[in-house]
Amino acid sequence: MSCPLRLTVNGVPRCVEVETQTLLVHAIREQVGLTGTHVGCLTGDCGACTVMVDGETTKSCSVLALSAEGTEVETVESIADGDELHPVQEVFWDEFAFQCGFCLPGMLLTAKELVEQQPDADEGEILRAINGNLCRCTGYNTIVAAVRRVVREARAERGAG
Amino acid sequence: MTSAPVQEGRIGASPRKRDGATLLTGRALFLDDYAPTGLLHAVVVRSTVAHGRILTIDTAAAEGSDGVVLVLTGEQAAQHAGPVPYFIDPAARGGNRTDIRCLQVDKVVHHGQPVAAVVAGTRLQAEAAARLVEVEYDVLPHVLDATAAMAPDAPRIYEDWPGNVITHNRYGSGDADSRLAESDVVVSGELHIGRTTTSPIEPRGYLASWADDRLTVHASCQNPHQMRWMLSVSLGIDESRIRIVTAKVGGSFGLKMQGHPEETLIALLSILTGRPVKWIEDRRETLMAGAREQVHRFRVGARRDGRILGLVNEITADVGALTAQAGWAMPNMSATTQPSGYAVQDCRIELDIVCTNKPPLNAARGFGKDAAHFVMERAVDLVARELDLDPADVRRINFIPTDEFPYRTSTGLNIDSGDFHGLLDKVLDAVDYPALRERQQAARAEGRCLGIGLGFELTPESSDSPGTFVSGFDTTTVRMSVTGSVTVLTGVTSPGGGNDTGLAQIVSDEIGIPIDWVELVQGDTDRCPNGFGNFSGRSMVVGGGSATLAARDVRDKLVDAARRLMGLGEGDEVTIGDGVVSAGGTSMAVPDVARGLLTRAFAIGDIEPVLESTRAYKPGNINHVPDELGRIQPYPTYSSSLHAAVVDVDPETGKVTLLDYVMAHDCGTMINPALVEGQARGAVTMGLGSALSEQLRFAQDGSLASNRFKSYLLPRAGDVPLLRMLHQVTPSPFTMHGNKGAGEAGVGGAQASVANAVEDALASYGVTVDRVPLNPPAVLDLMDAAMAASDGGAR
Repeated sequence: MSCPLRLTVNGVPRCVEVETQTLLVHAIREQVGLTGTHVGCLTGDCGACTVMVDGETTKSCSVLALSAEGTEVETVESIADGDELHPVQEVFWDEFAFQCGFCLPGMLLTAKELVEQQPDADEGEILRAINGNLCRCTGYNTIVAAVRRVVREARAERGAG
Repeated sequence: MTSAPVQEGRIGASPRKRDGATLLTGRALFLDDYAPTGLLHAVVVRSTVAHGRILTIDTAAAEGSDGVVLVLTGEQAAQHAGPVPYFIDPAARGGNRTDIRCLQVDKVVHHGQPVAAVVAGTRLQAEAAARLVEVEYDVLPHVLDATAAMAPDAPRIYEDWPGNVITHNRYGSGDADSRLAESDVVVSGELHIGRTTTSPIEPRGYLASWADDRLTVHASCQNPHQMRWMLSVSLGIDESRIRIVTAKVGGSFGLKMQGHPEETLIALLSILTGRPVKWIEDRRETLMAGAREQVHRFRVGARRDGRILGLVNEITADVGALTAQAGWAMPNMSATTQPSGYAVQDCRIELDIVCTNKPPLNAARGFGKDAAHFVMERAVDLVARELDLDPADVRRINFIPTDEFPYRTSTGLNIDSGDFHGLLDKVLDAVDYPALRERQQAARAEGRCLGIGLGFELTPESSDSPGTFVSGFDTTTVRMSVTGSVTVLTGVTSPGGGNDTGLAQIVSDEIGIPIDWVELVQGDTDRCPNGFGNFSGRSMVVGGGSATLAARDVRDKLVDAARRLMGLGEGDEVTIGDGVVSAGGTSMAVPDVARGLLTRAFAIGDIEPVLESTRAYKPGNINHVPDELGRIQPYPTYSSSLHAAVVDVDPETGKVTLLDYVMAHDCGTMINPALVEGQARGAVTMGLGSALSEQLRFAQDGSLASNRFKSYLLPRAGDVPLLRMLHQVTPSPFTMHGNKGAGEAGVGGAQASVANAVEDALASYGVTVDRVPLNPPAVLDLMDAAMAASDGGAR
């Protein structure tokens, strides 16, 4: 059965038609038309489908689209400000923290959430944060280095400000 | 690494990946992101038995289901499509073959084999209808184990074969059996390498569009030109009417080399419906693709001082059902890569490549070479253990001496260059080996099981196999426009590793222009010159070599044009750097030279006004003329690496924790060291997964039990320690820049060093590691076996 779904995606109010069984990841990709969010497993294990729902990282393959009624959703497309990359993106680029880039939605949004919500994250908290996201290319070392640097630079900026 | 600073963007520097902004912002288009008007979705109906005759297929309910446009059975598909041609035909290697169909016709030989396809308006509709396709089977006995499949009374998978063996081959020179008889000690063992899979985070997928008698296929694949040829053969369409475009690829690791039945199938579905048809694997389908599974029964003879005299190894490789993909051929390299970097001229290696009723092996990073190292490195450690020698010393005494390269191994490989002793020294320094051994003693005194394992890895790269599409050359076009900007069109593709950035570095460096003037075009058969894509660490060797030749042609033409435009004499020295042509005290911007040549062609004299060149590059060292022992030499370059793993094993739970990991890597000249390290870290991590946690498990009925990431355990961030990378640069004399392949080294070294470290950690229990993966149950099982052997009692 087809139903209307009203939600805000990257600051823009949207109303799309979805089936009752449609997953949020498919609604975002197919009905909203933002394909930066990826499908890797559909079992909530890989994290390539990660989006923010009301400010919290959420694996959008494990959420029915209709349960996101009235929420604020942010996707990987929202991180940069126009052509201006977010510091998290710049650091990931500098540190070679991705190769194929398919896992980036989860890695970037998780890193951004960590630095915003746990600005004093230690090594263990960094690893725990990204442990829910699979990457098959990098071996994680450069991802961990990037997140560590994001946290460090954010902390330094706060200290200076 | 070189000590002098390298100018930004040039060969040897590490500029950032050129596709970074696109990927980081979510703008990159992967296969599933294409949605042309009129798109239909396909779902594959798969066999629910491991072995059986298809009696009936009832498609009526599916055809009446919502949104369904087409249901296709194997019998119907066979009226339109012939067999899928092999990437490497077993017949070309003297083996048994069978016709590979896009949908099975009479019989299925593994659980999950495609038997029908459903096309519908949405994926959900296609999935719902696929569940309504009813297939009735006459179930036949099946066999899931290679050794059992070799028994005379085993179920026969392909009825016209004499057995279930694709090929039996013998490799090696000398008289290994006599050397073993003369040896002071002989160690032997049986090693089991578990079935793993590559599992890129983006699954495979294809989008075929048949329109105006032309077929366009967007594919998440590594080898677009080979795919064009294969579709041309299986579908009977002239190649000139087929275009393959590789979308942005979300990792591949060999999985996305072509030869899969769904390639022909999805193209056929588009032809039959006249509309674009897309199919994306789900994760259960991706996880069916095997990467390796072998049993090695070996004997090694050595002198009392640790010098190895001879090796006998009998390999049984379980490749599952036969495939047109290259995967079935990987075990050949497990045989020929032995005895690795050790100077052992007396080897006898027997290889049986065996079919079972499991899904096929598909090409996988390591391509069988990984197994050679797991076995050789275990053997070297067992020799050391038997003789009470240090494993590092046994490696040192057996390594090929550095002054003996190029070195022809017993199996015929001609190792171009290397310094294996140098790699060992680097690693032992990095871990402070004597201090580490002391730490180990102290840990043992406290009851902790700390282990140190070494693993050497020789990685033959950039292979060429005559008469197949495993090609050792490639082709690149370099084209400068009237504005001085350059487009590079190349036959090699990038699944994410970043060779596009490396190629841009080479072209900008060779011509002498800023790197951001260079654009890359890859993976489009209508635009790129004929090439062979991505496999075998070839992209920078042959893509880089051909790009270099073409860039030098363009540079030469620029110099010639500049002489005329600047009024220089033949003898004046001309240089190009940073986009400026300089001679004597004068200079001219490269764009001005390009514009001068292309807009004043008749004014500047007898010069052909073209700033474009297409060149192929064939590296040296490949030799397909069999020597007196029938051996050929299919690889130009041999990268080498030495790995050290330090582990802590909990004897109560069997859990292995990695404490430290060092890799000393020699892939000759590095075009972009950061990208090389990225490849190495990824390969090591894949090896760590196969050493410790990853294993495809099948239920007794042949269905895949580990069919999701909750049961097939890829390493996660918390499982991987800092992988410390050290570099040694021994340039290859046989390639353009002295570079060697850098895509695969790490898988075998990680398996070997971890396995050796676990055995070392559990030395006091007398454990002998005979398998990977070493997950907790496997470790506890090994401890039980050791205790039972030592005192006849259970733990």
